[in-house]
Amino acid sequence: MRSQLHFDAVVIGGGMAGLTAGTRLAQSGAKVAVLAKGHGSTHLSPGTIDVLGYTPGRVTSPEDSLARLISERPDHPYALVGADAVSESLQWFADCAANGPLPSYGYVGGLERNLLLPTAMGVLRPSAMVPSTMAGGNASGLGTVAIVSVPALREFHPTLCAANLTAAGIESRGITLHIEVERADMNPVGMARRFEDPKWRGHFCAQLLPQLRTEEHIGMPAMLGMRDPAAVVGDLERRLGRKVFEIATLPPSVPGMRRYEILRSALRAAGGRLALGADVISHERSNGRVTSVATHAAGRDLTYLADWFVLASGGFASGAIELDSHWVTHERVLGLPLRGVPETGSPRFEREYLSDQPLAAAGVAVDGELRAGGTDNVFVAGASLPGATPWREGSGEGIALASGYRAAAVIAGGLRTEESVTS
Amino acid sequence: MTTLSTEVLVIGGGATGVGVAWDATLRGFDVVLVDRADLAEGTSGRFHGLLHSGGRYAVKDPRAAEECIAENRILRRVAADCIEDTGGLFVTTPFDDPAYADTFVTGCKATGVDCEEISVSAALASEPRLHPGISRAFRVPDANIEVWKTLWAMSHGAQQRGTRILTYHEVTGVHRSSDRVAGARVRSARTGEEIDIEAQVTVNATGAWAGQIADMAGIEGVRVLPGRGIMIAMNHRLVNTVINRCQMPTDGDILVPIRTVSVIGTTDQHTDDPDDHTVPEDEVDRMFDEGEKLVPGFRQARALRVWSGVRPLFEDAKASDTDTRDVTRAHALLDHQQRDGVSGFVTITGGKLTTYRMMAEETVDAVCRHLGVTRACSTASESLPGSEDGANYRLGERLQRKEASLQDEQVICECELVTRSSLEEAIRRTGSTKLDDMRRQLRLGMGPCQGGFCNYRATGLLHGIDELSAQDANQALLDFLQERWKGTWPILYGDQLRQVRFDDWVFQGVLDVAHAPGAGAGAAGADGAAGAAGAAGAAGAAGAAGAAGAETVASGRAS
Repeated sequence: MRSQLHFDAVVIGGGMAGLTAGTRLAQSGAKVAVLAKGHGSTHLSPGTIDVLGYTPGRVTSPEDSLARLISERPDHPYALVGADAVSESLQWFADCAANGPLPSYGYVGGLERNLLLPTAMGVLRPSAMVPSTMAGGNASGLGTVAIVSVPALREFHPTLCAANLTAAGIESRGITLHIEVERADMNPVGMARRFEDPKWRGHFCAQLLPQLRTEEHIGMPAMLGMRDPAAVVGDLERRLGRKVFEIATLPPSVPGMRRYEILRSALRAAGGRLALGADVISHERSNGRVTSVATHAAGRDLTYLADWFVLASGGFASGAIELDSHWVTHERVLGLPLRGVPETGSPRFEREYLSDQPLAAAGVAVDGELRAGGTDNVFVAGASLPGATPWREGSGEGIALASGYRAAAVIAGGLRTEESVTS
Repeated sequence: MTTLSTEVLVIGGGATGVGVAWDATLRGFDVVLVDRADLAEGTSGRFHGLLHSGGRYAVKDPRAAEECIAENRILRRVAADCIEDTGGLFVTTPFDDPAYADTFVTGCKATGVDCEEISVSAALASEPRLHPGISRAFRVPDANIEVWKTLWAMSHGAQQRGTRILTYHEVTGVHRSSDRVAGARVRSARTGEEIDIEAQVTVNATGAWAGQIADMAGIEGVRVLPGRGIMIAMNHRLVNTVINRCQMPTDGDILVPIRTVSVIGTTDQHTDDPDDHTVPEDEVDRMFDEGEKLVPGFRQARALRVWSGVRPLFEDAKASDTDTRDVTRAHALLDHQQRDGVSGFVTITGGKLTTYRMMAEETVDAVCRHLGVTRACSTASESLPGSEDGANYRLGERLQRKEASLQDEQVICECELVTRSSLEEAIRRTGSTKLDDMRRQLRLGMGPCQGGFCNYRATGLLHGIDELSAQDANQALLDFLQERWKGTWPILYGDQLRQVRFDDWVFQGVLDVAHAPGAGAGAAGADGAAGAAGAAGAAGAAGAAGAAGAETVASGRAS
């Protein structure tokens, strides 16, 4: 027989939204389990907190544009959670980072004004809050820039990045430092481990210094240490005598993994439990309530009973929402009804890749409290929500944080009510 | 204006045209080949990769069957490295008329197609995913052929012997006097420069576009009915043998394992436009349904990519009073000296990839007649460069080679094992600024992620080597994104949709390519991505034929 575990709340999904919801619930005193099939988009995304980047013109102040978006698009996740949840959750996350496991590695910025950080293409991309090691790349503070990488890192082309930055008005040049590593291919995670070694940093800086001009800022792929990036960047700045900042790379994303560590550690500190490799394979319902979910994991299958559930399992990217070969769309974890799916016969996709894709904004139908349609006790957060196209809007982390935060708040309110009834 | 002079001008860089150039080169002619786009960018690059045994035509079109088996035997030898000897099976599924099997056997015997019946249990043992309800199975010598490898081998071989190949050169006019064609004028798609090519014989090897070139030459009645068909590549070798339904040829009844995928095809819809590459949803559904009949569970596999190719089905309007319905799969060679009294001009169209060599041989024989010389064809015995040892391609060959140097060499495209050095070499050699050209050269971006990872990496290399401006580099990346999207969106479901969504995060999220300088949206915060989409779309359409408004240039103007 399956083992059974009892929780106040179970969160399905271990990405940004799920970890936020789980941590907030744990912090409110609930007994919480976060069930993660695998590592989510945290390991893929640039590590920045994007709240609102494009509407579709580039957003200068997320705060102002958010207010407009909330009034104009009542179906957007931000309209459901409200502006307060956005600002509160950002502050909450900044506190998590400040008190987190990475010394002196904080998040800077806020809702007043987007920072513009170069991407690996050299495009200036708007983010509301960014890791302190990346903030030096903010366009408004940049003079001339040297973009530096090593040939072993396929995911980063300094000259291409510099050419686009220059085209965007920031005088830049690329430096490919021909420095030996033992493999022809290195990914940013492997390089990050390398940069944790002071001897390597010394070697690297000795090679780089003669190529640098005075007054240059140094932009490097985000690979400057995993456990203590602030110290790594500080040491490089000391050795080079110049400002150093990180630029997000293609996955795997080192700053994304750091962000995951910040949230995971916050969850643990609050007493929440994280089960990795826990794929939800079935669930039980009674009337309008989900009563339990079962996971299939290495070792043994488990049943999690809970009063409340948060579905933060992601959208099409994670596979939690699926379009099958008969062109029918399903929510695969709990079989919840969807919203925003194009009707049969109307296009799911447009011919031009960069067009708005009709299917993209589909998600789990929810009410104004993020409660999933047809259920009393399932709340939805993050990319599972309909109405947004995060990668186009530059809104992924903002939605994940605010909706995870909000879902937890609604549930915590319910828990308090139950307590007052039973006591 | 530059003027080139040659003995033989070949218009069309598909299998037929390149085959003609290779054949004529081996016979010692001076040859120039032109194509409006890259080699194999038309029909040749848009088929399922099947080297026919002839079994498919054994009943319906015996002449085509005879040609196929003869050429199959020759190509296995001379193009060995381009061919994987998968073998083929014709199976009678519960959905097929069981009576056809005996007709099939008779047809194979009559046409000389090797055919051996094997037990159902033996068939299922060798192909366990096949429908368990099959009632009969026949082994035939089907195989798969990698078209790009074949064409590069021939074109490189011809170039080494002095042949000039001008890709991205579109014919803008054919030099025609009253009784003679004397070459053509072409325009570079890259630079806009025009070149006059004087030729003693001009070969129109443009397949489905042959009517357009014949029109330019003022030749009437060359009518090619384009027959459009879709093919879908499924990720994985669902089978390791070419599987045919044992029935009269129809839609979706062939499954071809090639490289790491299986391709199901095809449909047949008449279209008026040879550049019609539409992929209707009902045809996609039909492919999946037919796939289920061959391999139950087919729909659970991941559909990687769909494409649409246009068969050139030839109909000679001049012969229409004798037989209007005879639209044949066999090829047609039109010697316009005999047909129209116009010398120096030959049209070759129709046919199929399996018979490209035979078509080329007959064409160059006609060229010899025009030039009044007799030179023997040697393509049936001369191996293509790379195939000299006569060993067929084996699946896993590239991985085996790659594994030897895995620690020492960077891989740009993991799906197709494209190394950095091979990509850099191809960029330098071709001078190309298009990643899609690299795809045809190296299979870059053809695997499961459809360019998700290699696009940025390859753009970075292209930017460095070609010294592109930031804007041109961005455009190269956006063009390749759009090119990959074109074949992806109509079949997006399941895991491939997950893949695309992941790619969206990479390109639109992490890299923010929609707002790259020059990509349309611009850094100034212009209106979203609409501009970028427009730019990519326009570039995608730039290869379209400019045959409308064709001019016939008098031969006197050539010099």
